[in-house]
Amino acid sequence: MDSQHLNPSSLKSRFTARFLRALIKINAQKPISSSSPREIFQRYRRIKVAADKSMAYSVRSRRTWSRATLWKLRSRSRRRLASSGRRSSIKTRTTTTTTTTTTSTNHRAAIVEKTSHEKENKEDHVGLAVQAEELRELVPGGESMDLCNLLDETAHYIKCLTTQVQVMKKIANLYSLE
Amino acid sequence: MEKDQVFMGEAVQAGWNSCSFGMEMETDELNCVGSCFLNPKWHNSMDQSDPFESALSSMVCSPAASNAGSTNFPASGDNTMMTDLIGKLGNICNTGDISPQSLIKPPNNNNNCSSNTSCYTSPLDSPPKLNLSMMGGNQILKHPSLVPVSVDPGFAERAARFSCFNGLNAQLGVTEAEFVQLTRVSTNQSVMVTGSQVHVPDSNKNTLQDGNSCSDKRNSRLSRCSSPENGDSKDESSISEQIPGVGSSIKAQNDANARKRKSMPRGKAKETPSPAAADAKIAEENDESTAKRSKQQNDSAKAENKENPKPPEPPKDYIHVRARRGQATDSHSLAERVRREKISERMKFLQDLVPGCNKVTGKALMLDEIINYVQSLQRQVEFLSMKLATVNPRMNANTEALLSKDMFRSRGSLPHSHYPMDSSALAFGLRYQPQQGLPMNNGISNDTQIQFSMNPANAALHKTQGLQLPPVDGISDANPQIGSFWGDDLQSIVQMGFGQNQPQSCQSPP
Repeated sequence: MDSQHLNPSSLKSRFTARFLRALIKINAQKPISSSSPREIFQRYRRIKVAADKSMAYSVRSRRTWSRATLWKLRSRSRRRLASSGRRSSIKTRTTTTTTTTTTSTNHRAAIVEKTSHEKENKEDHVGLAVQAEELRELVPGGESMDLCNLLDETAHYIKCLTTQVQVMKKIANLYSLE
Repeated sequence: MEKDQVFMGEAVQAGWNSCSFGMEMETDELNCVGSCFLNPKWHNSMDQSDPFESALSSMVCSPAASNAGSTNFPASGDNTMMTDLIGKLGNICNTGDISPQSLIKPPNNNNNCSSNTSCYTSPLDSPPKLNLSMMGGNQILKHPSLVPVSVDPGFAERAARFSCFNGLNAQLGVTEAEFVQLTRVSTNQSVMVTGSQVHVPDSNKNTLQDGNSCSDKRNSRLSRCSSPENGDSKDESSISEQIPGVGSSIKAQNDANARKRKSMPRGKAKETPSPAAADAKIAEENDESTAKRSKQQNDSAKAENKENPKPPEPPKDYIHVRARRGQATDSHSLAERVRREKISERMKFLQDLVPGCNKVTGKALMLDEIINYVQSLQRQVEFLSMKLATVNPRMNANTEALLSKDMFRSRGSLPHSHYPMDSSALAFGLRYQPQQGLPMNNGISNDTQIQFSMNPANAALHKTQGLQLPPVDGISDANPQIGSFWGDDLQSIVQMGFGQNQPQSCQSPP
């Protein structure tokens, strides 16, 4: 077992490090023993976000899905910050974020339109449009990809998801060992 | 050529099997295989063989021989073998038209036999075979005793094997194309006569595809040339489906080939859609046979390899795709085909990733499986994060040790020396510190390891990655007790303490 992760810079180890750090941070914020269901739910959400974020960061921007995930998380945090009430800092930030968001949304919309048109042309004869659409919904950032690249992204995404599940299982086992 | 003669003699006497093996011996001579079938006069045709053909023949010989040798040749077997040979030769070298009939009646079809055999033996020998094939084809047509040639399932395999010769085919000239045409003609005849032994076509096509995908660039030139010719020949072949018209069609094809040779196709040659044959089945068979042959000829490019003169255009940087025989030749369909093959390639890769996908066939089902798998993985992540949220991360000594070990494992071969120290420090650090409150304060600066014992995970993380201590914002609030307990020095050191654990461990002051 010790020789499992022999590569310190592998995806697994990178994700493990980041996720553990995030986990410790989350656990330190609130003692679990006194958590109400609501707090547990909040904690769960934070952990889930941390897991996705850790994985996306481990992949950096090499993959479309990781970029999309990071972008989503960042925009979500920006929105949360905007609504949290910190007006002063947010005002400047929101303008920038909104501009960036709008530009990115427009850009993405344009991409989606263009690619959807292309997709229709290309995938009609293949007859896989329905499943391709489903897959696009599942894989983050898959809306603006043709089937060929979508399959590539799916393969990498599956690989990362399996790594994530493995690591989280191990951590959960460790936690529940007591 | 002498060798050819020798082999020919042997072949004629020994029969096809021996011939094929004898052919194998011949590397330089196209005659190898051809001699088996060849008439004594076959060597005449061989005189024209060029080095390519001989090389091709040598290559063809071995597989051909293996195939040929495996089967005995009763009369019907000869036909089958002939068909195989013809098919193979057609793909590999257009040199000659191999007509089963010619093989059957060696004395009558000297040229035919030679062409047939030569094609079979040396795909590279196509150029010289041109004339032979022409003649052979004609003779074949005239043969009253046209024996129906049944395509055997092994043809596909052999065709696939010969597909590797497509690269060689690139060097071949028009003869290949012509041969292909002729072979196609003969195949048409056989198809028409025999009815349908079409079980091969599908497999052939598949094998052909694999073969074609081997090397895109090898046949680029040839394919480019051949595609226009193929289109024409296709038309002609459809005409030639009728036996009586074969002879004329052959000639027409040859003329068309000559015409096509002059007009070099552009980089991406497209084939005109093969004209629908009167009989769909026959058309399919024809297409398949031609596709097979073309595949054999076209190394990796998907293009019909009708006899084409060497393409004058030099291969470009991008991958040349050739239209396959019997398929549309416009750029869109070619691009579509490339895209489809890319997609199927990726689907195969995904099949390996997703467990239990081996039995699923078809893109739609595969995609469904993939979607289900991705959904299940995402749900698993959610479930595990919920579990982590509910599980109380009691960081006792064991947990810390295990966690550090886990991270240690994750980091692989990072400095091991630290980890044992860390884990041991972690193991007894927390318990140790309370007892050594004062010493801890004093010794903190000395013993960096103990400092991190409060944060086993962090310690391991820092040690392993040399990372800066994570922001203290979340932690300083959690560890006011600890900080006060150990002094300000410790407080600054404690980064991500386990709030609930540290107070507990600190409850037992010395």
